[in-house]
Parts: sequence; C-alpha cells; structure tokens
Amino acid sequence: MAETLVVFDDIVKSFGDVIAVDRMSLDIRKGEFLVIMGSSGCGKTTTLRMLAGLDAPTQGEIRLGGHRINELPTWKRDTPMVWQSLALFPFLDVLRNVEFGLKMRGTDKATRRRKAMDWLERLGIAEFARRDISQLSGGQRQRVALARSLVTEPEILLLDEPLSSLDAHLKVRMQAILSGLQKDLGITFVYVTHSQSEAFSMGDRIVIMSRGRIEQIGAPVEIYRTPHNHFVAEFLGSSNIFRGRVVSVDGGLVSIETGRGRFRVTGSGAGTAQEGTSTVFVVGNDRMVLSQDRPADAGNFLEGRVIGEEFIGATVTIHMETGDGQEIRAQKSHGEIAHLNTNVGERIFASWQPESAYVLPGEIDGPP
Amino acid sequence: MKKVTIFGLSLSLPLLVWQLLFFAFPLVFLVALSFWVVENYRMVPDFDSVNWTKMFSRGVFWDTYLRTLALAAGASVLVSILAFPCSYGIAFKLSANLRRLAIFLMVIPFFTSYLVRVYSWQIFLSDNGILNAAFGLVGAGPYTMLNTDFGTMTGYLTLCLPLVVLLQVFSLMFVDRTLIEAAHNLRCGRLRTVFLVIIPSARVGIVIAALFCFILTFGDFVSPLYLGGGKPPTLSIMITDTTKAGQQWPRAAVIAIVMIATLLAVAFSAIGYAYRKRA
Repeated sequence: MAETLVVFDDIVKSFGDVIAVDRMSLDIRKGEFLVIMGSSGCGKTTTLRMLAGLDAPTQGEIRLGGHRINELPTWKRDTPMVWQSLALFPFLDVLRNVEFGLKMRGTDKATRRRKAMDWLERLGIAEFARRDISQLSGGQRQRVALARSLVTEPEILLLDEPLSSLDAHLKVRMQAILSGLQKDLGITFVYVTHSQSEAFSMGDRIVIMSRGRIEQIGAPVEIYRTPHNHFVAEFLGSSNIFRGRVVSVDGGLVSIETGRGRFRVTGSGAGTAQEGTSTVFVVGNDRMVLSQDRPADAGNFLEGRVIGEEFIGATVTIHMETGDGQEIRAQKSHGEIAHLNTNVGERIFASWQPESAYVLPGEIDGPP
Repeated sequence: MKKVTIFGLSLSLPLLVWQLLFFAFPLVFLVALSFWVVENYRMVPDFDSVNWTKMFSRGVFWDTYLRTLALAAGASVLVSILAFPCSYGIAFKLSANLRRLAIFLMVIPFFTSYLVRVYSWQIFLSDNGILNAAFGLVGAGPYTMLNTDFGTMTGYLTLCLPLVVLLQVFSLMFVDRTLIEAAHNLRCGRLRTVFLVIIPSARVGIVIAALFCFILTFGDFVSPLYLGGGKPPTLSIMITDTTKAGQQWPRAAVIAIVMIATLLAVAFSAIGYAYRKRA
C-alpha cells in the first residue's frame, strides 16, 4: 500500500445554508491518479479548492504530508491547480506564464528560463514561447497551463475539469498526455470531472460524489463491475437495476422476488443478503443476452418490446421496455445481434446468467 | 459596403450635423484665425505665420506649456494613485449592496457645479480659513495653501477623483477572479498580485481613467485661477490674458491649437499603450 499524501478528515464545507461537502473523509495516496467524479453541485470542485487552499473547510482537518493545512493560505502551499478556464495570464506571453511560479519563488532568471523552456519542449510547444495566449489553440493553451503548474516540480497537481472545453478528438490526446505525464513524474494527480470516459480512462482510483458525500471509492473496474449502491449504478448507467425482496438464501444463491418475477442471483456479494429484506441487484448492460424467442431456461429473463437503439463505435445498445414500464439496456456487438429483428416495437427477450447479477452491498438492509 | 438605412440615418444625422456645425467648422476657423494679423486693435484676415513664430519664440509660452503639462500629468498620476486603493476596496472588498452605495456616493459630487465646489475650497484653504484654524488649534501653521500649486492640485483632485474612482471600479470589477486565484495558487502573495495581475488586467480602464484626468485638468481654467492664483498662468489662463491684451485672438488661437494637438497626441499614445497586448 502506497504512502498517504493527503488526508481529508471529516470535512464539512458550507456556504451559508448550503452544505457543499458533508462530513467527507478521504485519503489520497502518493503517486496516484485520483479522479473525483460527480454531477455538478456534488462538491467535487469544492473538495479540490479546499485542497488548493482557495476555500477553507468549515469543519474537520485537511493534512498534507501529515501536517494540518487548514489555515495555510494557498500561496504558502505547493498545490498548483489547472483551472477549467485555464486562468492563463493574457497580459503575459507563453514563456512568462510558465515562468510565473518560479519567479514567485525567487528563482534566478537563467534557471527560470531554462526550466520553463524544458517544459515547453517536453509538451511540444517550445516554438510558441514568445506568442501571446490569444494566439494559441485550445490544446496549446492546455499545455501552457500544465507547464505553468508543473514547472515548480510539485508533488501534487490539482486539475479542475481541464479538458471540458476541448473537442472529443483533442480530449483523447490530452488524456493520453496527462496519464503519461503522471506516470513519468510519479506525482499525485487529483482530477475533478463529470465525464465518465475521462475518469475511467485515466484514474487509478475514482471517487464518486453526490450531494457532498462520497458514494464509492475504488479502481475503475471495481466501480464499473461492482457499484456500491443504487446511486452509483444509476450514475454510471452501465447496469440494469432491479429492486426486490430476498425470498431465500441458499449459500451463494439468492432468490429475489421483484414485481416482474423471481430471479436467481449468485454474483459476488449475494451471500450477505438476508431473507425477507429488500435489496437491489444489477446486471451489466453488456451481460444481457437478447433473443427473439422465449429462452429455454425458465430462469432469469424478461420480456419486452424494443424502444430504440443507440450506436457507439462497434457496439449497439438496444433499449427495451417491459410490460410494466421498466427500461432494460443491452449492449452488444453488431455481430451478436445481426440475426435479431430489433425494429422499434418488436417483441424481444433479455436474459442473463445468475452469476452476472450483482447485489449492491450498499443496498443490503439489516434483518427485517 | 454596409447599407445605410433611413432609420439609422435619421437617428445619427442630427448629431453628425451638430458636430459638423459646432465642432469641425469652428476648428477649421480656429486654424485660419491663427494666421490672421491684428492692426490697430482690429483683426484682419491674412495668411501670415507671424503669430506662430512670435508665440514659439517666447520663453514664457514654453514655460507655461511645460508647467501646464507637468500639472496635468502630475494630477493624472496623483489622482490615479490616490483613487486606486479606494477603487480596489469598492470593487473587491465590498458586498454588492455596499458597492452600489459607494458608486452612488461617487456620483453625488457631480450634482454640484464644479465652480461652487472650487469656491468652497477657498474657504478651507485661505490663510484665515478652516484648515489653518484647525492647524492653529494644535499649534501648527498657518500655511499658505491658497494661490499655490497645492491649491491648484486640490482643485484638480476635486474635479477628477470621483470620475477616476468610478472608471477604475468598473474596470476592476471585470477582472477575472480566477486569474487572481491562479496567481495566489502560484505563490504570488496578496500585495504582489495587485501589481502583477490585477493592475495589468485592469490596465485599459486605469489608463483611460488617467487619460480623462489629464484631458480635464490640462484645459481646466477654474482651479489654476481660483485656487492657484493664476500666476504663473496655465495655458487656458494665458489664452484669456492674450485675448484681453490688445485683441490678440490670433495668438490665442495658436495656444488653443497647440493644446488640442497635445491632447490628441497624449490621448492616442495613452490608448495605444492601454490596448497594447503585453505588459
């Protein structure tokens, strides 16, 4: 286990009556790429700003390298940040923007220039050193902002949705650059975003926040496959969610009664469910099997009608709706559904293996 | 070419005609006037450069010119420096409601005539005035303040300070706050951020405010006469003196043209500096 760099200890941040961050505790490890993800207003940016020293926590303690930093103003911390707007100084040229942090530290002119040029070269924008910020493209500005923050060799870099203004193609390139930089430098990146693709492609660990609280922390695959609770499952949108009551527990095999029938669940976590309690289980979109005919095995399947399909690259997501109005999503490759008639309104069956279903640990109630 | 609509024309035409009649035409006349000659206290139309050579060869003209320039430039710098902390406080430290109140208070001075305000300063600044009475209470003074450059400068501050504060406030309010945070985040302390980030960001407004101060004070007649005593004169006082002395309107026209040329030069270089891309 890597060493801990930052500790958020029971942090509360309120703005007047609004509680932005609500009793949050979080450890950030040395050298990890941590992504804080959530929809707008979930407290992710406030969390980052508290770490940067731009907002002070109302309650709780933030420790950096073991020392309390609550009262330390941002200009005495080493927590450079890359803003969503980038916040480059328009009245300075590229080189002077990058040199700014070094100048503030009193680094002599020659060293400053050399280090700044090194970074501009490393990020492939050395030829623009003497340009104005307004003369650069979005991607080039992004690199200037990165260079400006990294030139002082910090041990942590904070990024607040830095890619949200870029087009999709540039976004992917910048993601690769960011991941590469983080691995090369071996420093901690704390990255705030609302974008799942950014979070899952770059993060070593992902923190999912909602209404000022942490809903789940984990590696991308872990979160994707085993969401902790209903919120996370719904937020990711990668699973079909079923709510029901546990009718029997037999070792790892759990039977759950829903309004649409009784389903068998053997996926991990199922064993902790207790008879008689209500619970939620999920089945990944990509674990759904579609067929035109009623599946032979009378186990886990649902009948419905196709309501639409959505193409993303090589995969198709079929949306269907059951008789009582639950929407089911199945993500398949083109080949897998070539033999099916998926026109809107067609009758279709979705089935899954008991081991593909997963009981959400955050939704397991105590004994009734 | 852009199409000229009757609607647009009917809105803009009156002002264009006004400007043509009462600005462009008199200006041309002023230039012509500067080449006329005065014979037996009467002006005669002519094309003689004697007024120009006479004025430019007089030491007192150049002394007055430099004095006026120095006073106006000094006032611009002084007013800008005095106004800035106030503007900074209004723009960054006050709540929205208090800021509105402060802006309102800055507008109130314009309700009273500038001349009235300058006269009331005489009561404060004269040898037996309110200020010297106050100094007397603590055993200091009396100080001569009326009819000095100090008096002139006091009048200039009265004229310009509220306007400069307003212009500075509006430019400071539009400074991107994330730039300030970014500077702090890069270890730039609070005072340093003012000089390295806030002033460069608000440069256009700050320079324009100082330029307004220069324009207003360079041509001002009231303060240098009623608070500065008029001796030595400024250019606008010299104009009135010249017209009174032997009907020398053509020579007064020379002074006026020199003043206009100076203001144009200063205005263009100030605006050029304000909008230059880099600090």
